[in-house]
Amino acid sequence: MQEGGRDPPSYRPSCLQTREEVKLPARLKGNSLQASEAKLAYLFLMPATLFLCAFMFFPIFRVIQSSFYATDKLGGLSHFAGLENYVTLFKQSTFRMILFQSVYWTVLAVAIKTLFGLILASLLNVEYRGRRFARTLIVIPWASSAPISAILWIWVYHSEFGLLNHSLRALGITQNPPIWLGTPGLVFYSVIWVDIWLGIPFMTLVFLAGMQAVSVDLYEAANVEGANALQKYYHITVPGIRDVLLIATLLSTLWTFNDFNTIYVMTRGGPVNSTHIIITYLYMTTFERLRWGQGAVMAVITLIILSFCAWIYSRLYFRKGD
Amino acid sequence: MKSRRRMPVGVSMLVIILVCIPAMLFGAGKAKVTFFWNLYEGLTEDIRVEFQNAFNATHPDIELECVPVDWELSHNKLTTALAGGNPPEMSVIGTYWLLEFMDMGAVDEITKYVSPATINNIVPAIMEGKIGGKLMGLPVAAGARIMAYNADITKVEPKTMEELRQEAIRVNKPPDRYGFIMPGKKSLELTDFIYFLYAADGDVFQTKPDGTYGKCTVNSPAGVKALQFMVQLAEKDKVVQEGYLSQIRQDSHPTFVAGKAAYVFIGAWVDSLYKTAGSTFNLRYGQIPPFRGSKGKTLVVTDSIVIFKGAKNKKEAGTVLDVFYKDEWKARYDQMIGFPPVTISAGKLPQFQTPLYKTLVAASMRSKGWPLMSQWSECADIIWDAVVESFHGSKTPKAALDDAAAAIDKLRGF
Repeated sequence: MQEGGRDPPSYRPSCLQTREEVKLPARLKGNSLQASEAKLAYLFLMPATLFLCAFMFFPIFRVIQSSFYATDKLGGLSHFAGLENYVTLFKQSTFRMILFQSVYWTVLAVAIKTLFGLILASLLNVEYRGRRFARTLIVIPWASSAPISAILWIWVYHSEFGLLNHSLRALGITQNPPIWLGTPGLVFYSVIWVDIWLGIPFMTLVFLAGMQAVSVDLYEAANVEGANALQKYYHITVPGIRDVLLIATLLSTLWTFNDFNTIYVMTRGGPVNSTHIIITYLYMTTFERLRWGQGAVMAVITLIILSFCAWIYSRLYFRKGD
Repeated sequence: MKSRRRMPVGVSMLVIILVCIPAMLFGAGKAKVTFFWNLYEGLTEDIRVEFQNAFNATHPDIELECVPVDWELSHNKLTTALAGGNPPEMSVIGTYWLLEFMDMGAVDEITKYVSPATINNIVPAIMEGKIGGKLMGLPVAAGARIMAYNADITKVEPKTMEELRQEAIRVNKPPDRYGFIMPGKKSLELTDFIYFLYAADGDVFQTKPDGTYGKCTVNSPAGVKALQFMVQLAEKDKVVQEGYLSQIRQDSHPTFVAGKAAYVFIGAWVDSLYKTAGSTFNLRYGQIPPFRGSKGKTLVVTDSIVIFKGAKNKKEAGTVLDVFYKDEWKARYDQMIGFPPVTISAGKLPQFQTPLYKTLVAASMRSKGWPLMSQWSECADIIWDAVVESFHGSKTPKAALDDAAAAIDKLRGF
């Protein structure tokens, strides 16, 4: 204790001081300060809030509203239709099939992207000659534009002039290679591979960043304890990148469920709806068939599904803090 | 301190001046006309740029922008623009879209903006865009579909579909040479099935005495015969180019102009494609043959230019069309895409007195257009799916067409 019975204030950088600790000029003390600060905060938040209201909340509200209305061919609301759009849509076997296909598309693509991402990140996390070059190569699919990549893959898959079929013939694997983008059973996997190919670099880079943040001390301690590579990976690396894994998978789920580019450029959902997912079917229903109400229903369903995914992930993510 | 406060004001003023002066100099006061210029296999790119520049140079009060639009994306692009309340002044459209756009209340009567001299110079027989006595779309291209064949591979100009099949089987030596070119991937237009359907004297809908359309007849014996024949060529005889299921028209026709196939059913643009590809084989033209015992008709497709009601500068759009329909531009445009001219004056020009144009004129004498109805796009989509299902063998042609007819009737409220 010093004179006056007060502890000496320990030094803390100003950025870590709480508001109470900051010495304020007399003229700024009291309620007037709080009021002016609040005003300033509202002022700064105003543009972003207005932007969000105009370009996010209003369109979302409008879409939800449209889903309960009959519309004219230009999307104008004509009369309240209750759940009619929902009932009509769910009665369609095509829509139910596409809904299931969307979930399958997302689960399969995200699972493979995560798996490949983990494997590649693990390989890139090991010291070896040429690692930088390998890392650069990994980024290329992600750095290129998705529609251009999709067009490129159309040519790769081209049945007559495509690189893939040419290679299959040249290597003597088959003289009658499949029609990758024309056969219903095959086209889905041909297109999903392109989505996976485009998504792997993101997963790899995020996982790699996570792996590099894991303390080397833990691995050294494990070495002392005699842990093998697999044990180290399972007990140190995976828990170390858990948060990154969750976030990356969540983002990938959202993007994959909404991957319009790849499908629209490559197949437009065909042949016979075999590559449609909700987002491409929504586009076709709304802008080609001009059924705005049903399109709005699909948008609402997409919103619900993706919000649910986000909610599950957030529960898992924040459980750690409990 | 004062000078510091003034600085942002000064910078803002400078920015405003820098932004506004060029706008005043180059844009303000001009009426902008946006023209969605659909691409015909990319054959009109040179004339698009040339026309735009020439028009802008001679009309200082109008700023014309010809926006190149892919046919496959055109319908969606227009629908989105209309729904967004920002349509172009005018656009090329497939004439069968016209009723759909009229249902939306989006199209204006073209005679309000285009001069009578321009309209009177158009061949009256191809005014398909005249609806209820009002001309809503100006014909921009009209072409009956014909057969082209490679006379280095075959000298036979088949008189029936059955003869065509026989000869296609005879000359077929894949992968070097195919008997027949046929796209098997769904695209915007349902042309190929219609060629065979019309050749079998079939039709898509019953036509009522008042001219309106009744139930779908795509599953009639003629329809089934047409689709069975297509499946036979592609899947049993295997005379169609490899990978046809993943090819639309634009993907499959290059195989023909590369000299690798005997026959193709095509439009007048075959000549331009042939020249662009630098091909040297002996290209000949004939009529799409009917099935044995049928009279057969061929498909004629017309495209139109429409002016949109919601556009800002419709009067100026009319001026653009008056200039565009002069022989100087329109005849060159017709020649580039290979369609017979739509104007009376261009029809007399020497460049249109060739074997190709003579074949096209003969084809147009026995031709029939698409059903002109507002729901045609969706009906065509359903029929396309039936065709693809038959190719894949997931349904027989009969079953696929029965399902398609039922779906179309349900859609149209029958």
